[in-house]
Amino acid sequence: MSRGKIAIVGIGEVPTRIMPERTRWDILYDVCMQAVNDSGLGKNDIEAVINVSPQAQPELAAELSFGKLPEVLGFKGCRDTCICNAGGASTSNCIRLAEQYIASGAARSVLIPHATVHSTIAVEDLINFFAQAGVDMQWEYPFGTTYNILMGMMANRYMHETGARAEDMASVVTALRSWAAKDPNSFFYQKKVPTTEMVMASSLLNTPLHKRESNVLCDGGSAMVIVSAADARKMNKPAAYKLGESVRYFSGTPILRDFHKVAEGLSLTGVEAMAEAGVTKEEIDLWNIYMAYSMNHPIMAEALGVAPRGEGARYFAEGRMSFGGDIPWSTIGDAPGRGHTGSGVSTAMYVETARQLMGKAGERQVKDCRYVYQNTAGGSGFNNIGTVWGRSV
Amino acid sequence: MDINFDMTRPLPQTQPWSEKFWEGTRQRKLLVQHCRKCDANIFYPRKFCPECWSAELDWIEASGKARVYMFSTAYDMVEPKFAEDLPYTIAYVDLEEGIRLMTRIVECEPEDIHIDMEVEVVFHELNENFHLPYFKPVKK
Repeated sequence: MSRGKIAIVGIGEVPTRIMPERTRWDILYDVCMQAVNDSGLGKNDIEAVINVSPQAQPELAAELSFGKLPEVLGFKGCRDTCICNAGGASTSNCIRLAEQYIASGAARSVLIPHATVHSTIAVEDLINFFAQAGVDMQWEYPFGTTYNILMGMMANRYMHETGARAEDMASVVTALRSWAAKDPNSFFYQKKVPTTEMVMASSLLNTPLHKRESNVLCDGGSAMVIVSAADARKMNKPAAYKLGESVRYFSGTPILRDFHKVAEGLSLTGVEAMAEAGVTKEEIDLWNIYMAYSMNHPIMAEALGVAPRGEGARYFAEGRMSFGGDIPWSTIGDAPGRGHTGSGVSTAMYVETARQLMGKAGERQVKDCRYVYQNTAGGSGFNNIGTVWGRSV
Repeated sequence: MDINFDMTRPLPQTQPWSEKFWEGTRQRKLLVQHCRKCDANIFYPRKFCPECWSAELDWIEASGKARVYMFSTAYDMVEPKFAEDLPYTIAYVDLEEGIRLMTRIVECEPEDIHIDMEVEVVFHELNENFHLPYFKPVKK
């Protein structure tokens, strides 16, 4: 049970860009120092560091695994450090670990950082990593599948069952990019938001995915400081309190992931997390949804009851989830809007959840934001973790 | 930019308990692992039955008939080693024996492929050891 035990009290982030000259440790210095300074704690108050494992960067993962970060940052009060890898669900698990560290007395304040630099990885290594990660090497990979194809199959099934039009599906990117255009940390900050027509006119990668619906691999990083809810209250500053959580495991191999069971799991995790938090879906001010691909957002909107069955894609097409719409949704634009930083997209989304609850989201600030529903998922969708956060307990 | 792509066609990375499946494909048979204790049909093949943990596992020959559950046709952005096959369609198909496979749909135009389409197995030879089960439309 998560209700009211921990809170995010400090956040840090660097802009998501393609910047090979900015090293991974450049990013880690910046985001860690920002988060600690934002929390109001001193560097020696950080008693544990739980790293979000960087994908496709084995050297950094090894350095973090073997305890380098507290030493580099000079955290003199640090008692322990570790790394956690569950793909896109890594950050959720880092937060769970932080909760345990704090509850057990192992640490009072925990730093959770992430950094990714894709732009210095050899193209062939990047392609090879993303082609094989999360795909079964006996029963799937030899057929020539890709993440894009896996997501395209889900989208085709959704369109078959709901009658959603390709234009409606394409409008999800327009919605996500409308938020990204207002986000200084997005790769697409201040860039033209593609219309649905522009998305549809871009080349078809695999049905029904167009080039403008795919992700741009970027560099970036973010971090957060977590303390107990009791300590957060004593700090007398804006914070994001974890109020509820629920999770469902689907399958490690995509072929065993049934469309309907996934949709049911997305729904159940939402219901259970909100029940633990003691809030209704009508009280959620921001749906901070992480799907990595635009085309799965309508499925989530329907699973959560935000849109009626069969109308998720149409809601996006009507602009209801766009910047200025009546349903604040993925206010950093998820991976298609932010730029894909591997497991770091979910870290950035938790940072955004905290930013919104702290009232620091600038132009994207959701008015009077009291409750945020945020999910993450690992790998190619092996699970879904739903969480509810509030600005007070 | 000098990029050295691995163009080696990937072969299935087998386990001892899946060898029989691939042996079957060499004989143009689509085999499904079957638990003699709980009667479950199993995919993918396991060392122990995932339903009851029995080691009493056997094989049945599938009819080879299936229906398309979902699919996506690739036109671009696949690994270079698969690019020469473009366009190609990846699908999940539901066998009559109650299991779901990943496959390719072949011997038809991509625009003719649809969900619930009736298909039947054909075998695509990767090398002398491995024949991938592809599926083609059933001719009415």
